[in-house]
Amino acid sequence: MHFEVIVIGAGHAGVEAAYAASRMGCRVGLCSLSRATVAHMPCNPAVGGTAKGHLVREIDALGGLMGLAIDATGIQFKLLNRSRGPAVWSPRAQADKREYGRWVAAALEREANITWVPGRAGRLLTSAGRIAGLAMEDGDAHTATAIVVTTGTFLNGLIHIGPEQRPAGRHGEPPSRELAESIRSFGFEMGRLKTGTPPRLDRNSIDFARGVACGDFVKEDGDAVPAPFSYATTRLLRNRVSCWLLHTNDRVRDLVRGAIHQSPLFNGQIQGIGPRYCPSLEDKIMRFPDRERHQIYLEPEGIDVNEIYVNGFSMSLPREVQESLVHALPGLEDARMVRPGYAVEYDFVQSTELSSTLESHRVRGLFFAGQINGTSGYEEAAAQGIVAGINAGRLVRREPAFVLRRDEAYIGVLVDDLVTRGCLEPYRMFTSRAEHRLLLRIDNADLRLTPYGRELGLIGDDRWERFSARRDRFDRNVARLRRTHVRAGSGSRAAAEVLRQPGVRLCDLVDRGEVPLDIASDCRELDLASVETAIKYEGYLKQEASRVARASRQERKRIPAGFPFARVPGLSREAIQRLSQVRPETLGQASRIPGMTPAAVAVLGAFLGRLPADAPAEGAM
Amino acid sequence: MFATDDTIVALATPSGRGALGIVRISGPRSQDIVRVIAPARRPLEPRRATLTRLRAHESAGGAVDRVIATYFQAPHSYTGEDVVELCAHGSPVVLRTIVHAAVDAGARLARPGEFTLRAFLAGRIDLVQAEAVRDLIAAATPLQARVAFDQLEGTLTRRIAELDAVLFDLIARLEASLDFPDEGYHFIDVGETRRRIGDVVNGLDVLLADAGRGRLIREGATVVLAGRPNVGKSSLFNALAGTDRAIVTSVPGTTRDLITEPIDIHGIAVTLVDTAGARRAHDVVEREGVARGEQARGVADLIVVVVDLSEPLTEDDRRLLDDTSGRPRLIVANKCDLAPVVALDDAMTVSAATGEGLQALRCAMSRELSGGEPTQESPALTNLRHITLLEEARQSLQGAVNALRASEVPEEFLLTDLHAARTRFDEVVGARSSDDVLAHIFEKFCIGK
Repeated sequence: MHFEVIVIGAGHAGVEAAYAASRMGCRVGLCSLSRATVAHMPCNPAVGGTAKGHLVREIDALGGLMGLAIDATGIQFKLLNRSRGPAVWSPRAQADKREYGRWVAAALEREANITWVPGRAGRLLTSAGRIAGLAMEDGDAHTATAIVVTTGTFLNGLIHIGPEQRPAGRHGEPPSRELAESIRSFGFEMGRLKTGTPPRLDRNSIDFARGVACGDFVKEDGDAVPAPFSYATTRLLRNRVSCWLLHTNDRVRDLVRGAIHQSPLFNGQIQGIGPRYCPSLEDKIMRFPDRERHQIYLEPEGIDVNEIYVNGFSMSLPREVQESLVHALPGLEDARMVRPGYAVEYDFVQSTELSSTLESHRVRGLFFAGQINGTSGYEEAAAQGIVAGINAGRLVRREPAFVLRRDEAYIGVLVDDLVTRGCLEPYRMFTSRAEHRLLLRIDNADLRLTPYGRELGLIGDDRWERFSARRDRFDRNVARLRRTHVRAGSGSRAAAEVLRQPGVRLCDLVDRGEVPLDIASDCRELDLASVETAIKYEGYLKQEASRVARASRQERKRIPAGFPFARVPGLSREAIQRLSQVRPETLGQASRIPGMTPAAVAVLGAFLGRLPADAPAEGAM
Repeated sequence: MFATDDTIVALATPSGRGALGIVRISGPRSQDIVRVIAPARRPLEPRRATLTRLRAHESAGGAVDRVIATYFQAPHSYTGEDVVELCAHGSPVVLRTIVHAAVDAGARLARPGEFTLRAFLAGRIDLVQAEAVRDLIAAATPLQARVAFDQLEGTLTRRIAELDAVLFDLIARLEASLDFPDEGYHFIDVGETRRRIGDVVNGLDVLLADAGRGRLIREGATVVLAGRPNVGKSSLFNALAGTDRAIVTSVPGTTRDLITEPIDIHGIAVTLVDTAGARRAHDVVEREGVARGEQARGVADLIVVVVDLSEPLTEDDRRLLDDTSGRPRLIVANKCDLAPVVALDDAMTVSAATGEGLQALRCAMSRELSGGEPTQESPALTNLRHITLLEEARQSLQGAVNALRASEVPEEFLLTDLHAARTRFDEVVGARSSDDVLAHIFEKFCIGK
């Protein structure tokens, strides 16, 4: 068959890529082993968290799927960091993992432009350095202008459970070997990473009430008023489950220490590098001997799902050790382990092989997105998916690239970090990675990105109208706060000034009827948060904006494609090698390549200035 | 990354005393800046040496020196940019004041090798000539690039690194509290945050207070002897210098021009200046001498006002004492070997003739110049660029302190000020990225589920 865009893999990256390209009007082939694992959650049954929640809001603001999907199928919602400042509020939700996959699959079914291509992808077909199509392992071949590879941990995946090793992409699914070979044949720099997952328990074998009564468990519930992920969600969300917090004890510690030689992580069986922010139980015990106990959360994987996810307990010890470790946890003496945790090693493509559109330097029309680029997390994968899908669509339609800057979106930070720095360990988003995070808040993701989504063709008319109304309300409300005077002490002052006082909240001013704001009933919290932040922290936000402006000349200075770094006199051989490999698109990117000295960047900048002026490629499009 | 399109200034000749010293200003605003600090009747003509009077900020004593300004128009200059070279008398004090004035007028202090870098970028010199540039580029890290300077600057990097470490750990803890809210850790509380920022500010204050002394040792100081005629300035000059450099007679007004002699006062390189006696001048030569004396007092780091203990104070004495009252000065009552006629409370008594009190005078000079007791420990902060960076860092931290005092400012806002301060430290001790912050967190805390 002929497609414009083929997406290999239907995980969180793949579905966003396929959906975006389809919304842009491309004929999309979505190649997946099984429809049952669309948008699958092989690890924790949750979406969001610090910085990850920001990514989901941004995906949603651009017109992606993830926010809508989790709002539709979430079973417990929390806004993290509520007690801190507005720039680090971050939504997180437990998902009904089965419903989540079904919801996404159904959303894709509704897309007339998407055709399912069941089976195992084999070889990437090229012609004159460009993607020409995809050969399936069973012999079928499809032509395509662009291919987005989103194969997660499937490339030469190897699962470890104690001494037991077996090739697998995920639990119970065979890995991709031929595709791995095909990718490697183009000469991409590849590496090997490791990640892991905890054991799952039988929900019916745990007496939660007793655990709470005995003081072993602390019940954790969602927010009283859940905040949605998606700007389009208007219905009230409902918390349907609780989670339970418990702690490891000395017995767990002693058991791990006693069995440490059987851990593939510690006996040399695993070479791949794991994420530091998601340490295995073995790591926690061995590397932090001073910490008396570690937190464990029991999380239901769905309403009608019997499995309990043991968050914080990922390990690769032998099955029987895992079993005794579970039983060593307070309140879980009689719990039944449904399946053991495991570590998985997999190949990834070094992300410096990619440009900011996630298209590879080596093969035109070949995009990579998600865990194959060295990231971890559903949200990071989905964010790359939408970027790759959009740009595959733009390539097909011969439109200019779509790149978000670091001061525009966490998605911009994510992609920029990947393509300039590469990955030494699985990459996870943190708010501390975003140097302009004051500007990148969940309350303004729509203001930042929905106009782009509209221009790209991902935002429909209904959604656009709703957004436009919300933006108008925002502008009006900010103006009104500056204009309206309220009583303050003996005199009166502008409401905006009063709001800047410590401890003054906008909702109080509004509730007391002191400032008449235009607030939509189905959008109250968001309306208030955007306006309050814009006024209350105006000084900081202005300062941040001027920092962005100051750096922008250097930051946005374009480096033309194919720029001959070797011909810049005065650059060290290492600098030339790094630059030629990473192929930075701007001087800002060049400065972020590890090992680039300020002097080398200055030299490069000066030589760029001598080239004829190039396209005014400021802004995102 | 540093800009290549702004205007930079630096001393182009070796620091220290010399007959002449050159301050070089390069960049598109060179002319504007010179117009501010040395207003001339006409714009400078390219490649033409123009005698002009440099004006420093009032707080630095107004007029500084007459200099020769030469304008090199781009691209016909060393750096290929608009360049103005100011050739002044080689006193470190004068030259430092000129550089300061240029910075006040909008120039940026050049980094080591930056003129050469620009020359190289403009194609004015090739790489072999541009060794400084090559070294700069070859250095893999700013820290490495600084090793050479470290040898000169002693403990500076170490001391800033200590402050940086406190700030860095604080930043990492605050970042951790934002990125890992539900890990069961209490990373840091407000009181601790406040205390640590305070510690860093205090540390900076110590370094900056030291800065004057550091520069003093590196660049030396100018001490001017002043007094009405015939109080024994020249005798004192010779006694302190241990030479008979100045002609000493009993004729008032013997000294007409400035006489200078380098001397060592407890390790400080002092340029001792003898001046003509301050009085209504009798002839043209003396008038010029008195004017030069006044000018010398204007740029002095320390003025030693000499009075004659054996004669009543005159109007000239009183005027001089009034004129110098706001300046760093010592009052010295000379001729204590004779019968005293006046009593001045705050004066030290010496006798240039017998040497009595000279040791105490030396100690007092050293104390006045270095702002403290003589010490063996070498002061860390001598470099104007570093001082500027640290002052900026201090300002950002003060912003954070104020924000904390005003209210419960959310961490992410507070962090913008702390990051800004650390960026300044970065320039001294080497850059650290957000990856380093995360690495620090993961090392210290067991994070993750």
